[in-house]
This record gives sequence, C-alpha cells and structure tokens, in this order.
Amino acid sequence: MNTIGFKTLLSKETRRFLKVPGQTVAQPVITTALYFLVFGFALGGRVKELDGISYVRFIVPGLVMLSLIQNSFLNTASSMFIAKMQGTIVDLLVAPLSPGELLTAFTLAAVIRGFLVGSIVWMVAAIFTGFSIAHPLWTLLFALMVSIEFALFGLVVAIWSDKFEQLNLIPTFVITPLTFLGGVFYSAHMLPEPWATITKANPVLYMVEGLRYGILGQAHSSPWVGLILTGVLTAVSGVAVWVMLARGYKLRG
Amino acid sequence: MPPLAVETDALVKKYPKVQALGGVSLSIEPGEIFALLGPNGAGKTTWISIVCGLTRATSGHARVLGHDVVADPMAARRVVGLVPQEINFDPFFTPREVLRFQMGYFGVQPSNDRIEELLAALALSDKADVSSRELSGGMRRRLLIAKALVHRPRVAFLDEPTAGVDIALRKDLWNYVRKLRAEGTTIVLTTHYLEEAEELADRVAVIDHGRLIAVDKPEVLLRQHGKKRIRFTFDAPVVAALPARLLALGATLENGGTSLSCPLEGDASEVLAAAAALPARVVDLRTEQPSLEQVFLALTARVERRA
Ligand SMILES: Nc1ncnc2c1ncn2[C@@H]1O[C@H](COP(=O)(O)OP(=O)(O)O)[C@@H](O)[C@H]1O
Ligand SMILES: [Mg+2]
Repeated sequence: MNTIGFKTLLSKETRRFLKVPGQTVAQPVITTALYFLVFGFALGGRVKELDGISYVRFIVPGLVMLSLIQNSFLNTASSMFIAKMQGTIVDLLVAPLSPGELLTAFTLAAVIRGFLVGSIVWMVAAIFTGFSIAHPLWTLLFALMVSIEFALFGLVVAIWSDKFEQLNLIPTFVITPLTFLGGVFYSAHMLPEPWATITKANPVLYMVEGLRYGILGQAHSSPWVGLILTGVLTAVSGVAVWVMLARGYKLRG
Repeated sequence: MPPLAVETDALVKKYPKVQALGGVSLSIEPGEIFALLGPNGAGKTTWISIVCGLTRATSGHARVLGHDVVADPMAARRVVGLVPQEINFDPFFTPREVLRFQMGYFGVQPSNDRIEELLAALALSDKADVSSRELSGGMRRRLLIAKALVHRPRVAFLDEPTAGVDIALRKDLWNYVRKLRAEGTTIVLTTHYLEEAEELADRVAVIDHGRLIAVDKPEVLLRQHGKKRIRFTFDAPVVAALPARLLALGATLENGGTSLSCPLEGDASEVLAAAAALPARVVDLRTEQPSLEQVFLALTARVERRA
C-alpha cells in the first residue's frame, strides 16, 4: 500500500477543483438556484402540489441529485481527460500507485466535490423550503452511492475518450437526458402511457426516487430497489475502471 | 551479487505499422551513467517507456534493480524516476506544488528542504510559486527533471533532458548528474549532444532501427570504430594528383588543396614521408582525435547500408 501516494493524489485532486471555486462550486450553485427560481417558483405557482407535496419542496431532491451527478462525473472526467491531453498522466503512470489507489483517490475527490456542491444546493433550497430531512441515513447513502457511481462513470468515459467531442458525447446524449427524464422536475407518475412504463427502465429515476424518499420521506418506488440498482451499477463501473487501469487501456501503449 | 540496475532481455515492441524494438538486451550496472544513443525513431524512447512501465513490450522482459516491471510493477516503479521526452505541465499548479505531489506519489513524505534543493539545483527557485503556465520551454524541461528526481530514485531515466536547455544550464545539469552518480544513483540518458555523452557517460549504447549495434565504454568505441586522423596544412595548394601510396592510405585533399587529411593507423612515418614529398611546404601539422559523433555516424551508416 502506498498510503502517502494515495493521500497526495487525493489532496491534489481535491485542490484542483478548490482552486477554481467560481467554476466548480459557484457555477453549479447559481445554475441550481436558477432552476429553483424558474421551475420552483414560476411553475410552482401553477403546479402547486405533486404527490401531496408543494412543488418547490418536491423538486429539492431532484436538484440535489442533479448537482451530485454533474459534479462527481465532471470532476473525474475532466481531471483524467485533461491529464491525458496535457501528458501529465505520465506522472501518475510512472509512480507506484496501484489501479485501486488511483481509482479510489480520483473517485473520492469527485465524491467530495459532489457532496460539497450537493450540500450547498440543498442549503440554498432549504432556506426556502425548510431544513428538515426525513431519513438522513437513506439520504446520505443515496448521495454517496450516486456520487461514486458517476465519478466512476466519469473515469470510464475520460479514459476511453481520445477527443474532446467524445468526452462530451456521454453527458449530452446519456447523462443529461436520463437525469431530466428521471423525474427531477416531475413525478414519473404524471406521464401518460407508454412513457410511464418506458421511464421505469431509466436507472436515474430510482436514484432520484431514493433521494426523494430520504429527504421528503415518500416516493413511488422502494428505496431498496434504488439501493440495489445503484449498488450493482456502481460495482460494475468500479470493476470496469479497475480493469481499464490495471490493463493500462488507452493509457499504457 | 547485487542486482543489475536495469536489465532487458530480448525486448521487442511492435506497433501496427512499425517494429520499434527488435529484441534489445541490455544490462546496466548500478551507479553507472549510461547513454542511449541513436537517430530519431531508433527506439530509445520506446525502450525507456517499457522499462518505466509506460508501454508494454510485445515480448521480452525488463527488470529494474531485480524487479520485473510487469510481474512486480509497484516495486519496480518505486525505485525509478523518469524525465519523459515530451514536456508536460499542469497549469493549475506551481512548480513547488508539483514537486510536492510528485514526491508524495512515490510514497515519500514531502519535504520542503528537498524541494528547495531541487528548485535550486535546476535554477527554478525564483519561479517556485508561479503558475507552470508562466515558465519558458527550458524551465518546463528543468521542472520535468526536478520532478523525476525529487523522490531520490535509485535509477533515473532522462530522455533528452537537455533539449531546449541553454549551454550554461546544461553544464550545471551535468554536474548535478555527476553528483547524483557519486551518491549512488544510476543514470540512463538519451541526448542529441554526443560530446556530452562522450564526456559524461561511463558506457554508451548505440541503437538503430530498434536494434542494438554497439555497447561499450566511449573510449573503447572510439578505439574500435573511430579513426585518428592527421592533417597537414600547406603553404600553397597541391594541384597535382596524389601519389598512389597516399591514396592507398585513404588520404584526401581538402580546402582547395591547401590541406591533406589522412586516417592514422599505427605507423605514422609513412604518411609523414609521403606528405613531405608533395610539391608544397608543410606549414602546420595536427592530429585529430576520433569523436563519438564520428563513431556514431559510422555505426549508424553501416546499418543504413545493410538495410
Ligand atoms: N505510440 C506509437 N504508435 C506507433 N508507433 C510508434 C509509437 N511510439 C513510437 N512509435 C514508432 O516507434 C519507433 C521508435 O520510436 P521512439 O522510441 O520514439 O524512437 P527514439 O526515441 O529513438 O527517437 C518510431 O518508428 C516511431 O514512429
Ligand atoms: Mg525519443
């Protein structure tokens, strides 16, 4: 075990996003505040209640989920991809850092960023809707699992991408659609058939539902379903990243 | 017997279109300064990359201080430092921060004294706290060297460490390399400045087209492949054809006939007598020592002809 090496990489990856707080922290907060204003208040005036909860409260878990997903994905994806592009990845590849240590340090830094932004977003929202959390443990568990999953996913995409366009492909065509269709701003139950059924195949739905259960105390699907699904996805992504790093896929020629 | 610093057995690397290494076996002793020479595309960087674990060999084995780079990569990497040929820098961080990280990655507790020492050794002290973006090309190269050495590797690989570094700093760098060797570090380097290799290296390997064509002490290579020459300067051009015995020795007229250059092997008296007999007065006489550059060109040209 290279404990010093692991800690150093973790601290570097964390400092990387803390060095540009405007980009990594303030920007997502502003975006979320805008969503909150536009969807929560403007629309909320008409929608009033969803599943028996005021609309502004209803969208809080979705907004937190949105920032967790975006920030944890972006942190690993951009850090790994930039390191590949500017050649600094060599500094890590020659060092005695095992695939597991690389994976954990990158992922953990991304989880920290996800949690940092996610909690700021939640606090901004809580000012308007109240600071209560129905099931703190479920909330933390879902936040953690989702951050880990998307951090790992970010690594997969960044290692695989040779060009910037490829890196953007996944967020644009996969993550953003799945997130928005995952019931961030609405209840999947509102959809007419066949969309209600099709939506059930979207894994992000269960993550949003899980966090909604954690924060608001009610959701349409059992949190256990979300937990198992996210757990499986995380495990698969973890293995994929580990194999990529261990084999040096696209990293060691 | 202590393990060799670096050992490669029949290292082969095939890329889809080219074979970069065609079976290179090399042994480098601990504490050596070893220079790897060869024209562009010879396979030097590929060899170093395999030994440092950045590239996988198609076949063959590589060991660093006895640790196989594939079977026991962590142990091998712990003792290695690499100056990659391609400059890289992270604009997010300052040289001081970068050195701290690099030390840590290698499992060494970051030390301010050590970082100051390297910044000073590579003339970067006054740039320690600026963004790496603000460094010149030569400074970036020097930062690369500092990064490779900060964790005190026992075997350091320097792939063209002086490209783009000016002469005064290059001299400082080589003095630093000698100091490292005195402390027991093994140094493997590639350079385009052959006079540097000649002066600095304990042993030299010449590779071309992925094959090893010579490995020896520079003085041995010079003795075996280099030719001493004798050069006469005349007071007036020699316009007549050279006599047969001078031609047989390989003599040629240069500078419009005002000088004569002839390889020197063993007996000089015959050349001297023949030159004295020419219809011009000898005003200067000089012998020229063979250079590694000459040897290098001769060795690589021979491969070229065979290919
Ligand atoms: N990643 C790569 N893909 C394909 N060919 C490569 C790659 N890296 C090096 N080569 C080829 O391998 C040969 C050796 O290159 P290299 O080791 O860089 O030579 P040197 O360092 O001696 O100049 C060259 O023909 C080069 O084009
Ligand atoms: Mg090279």
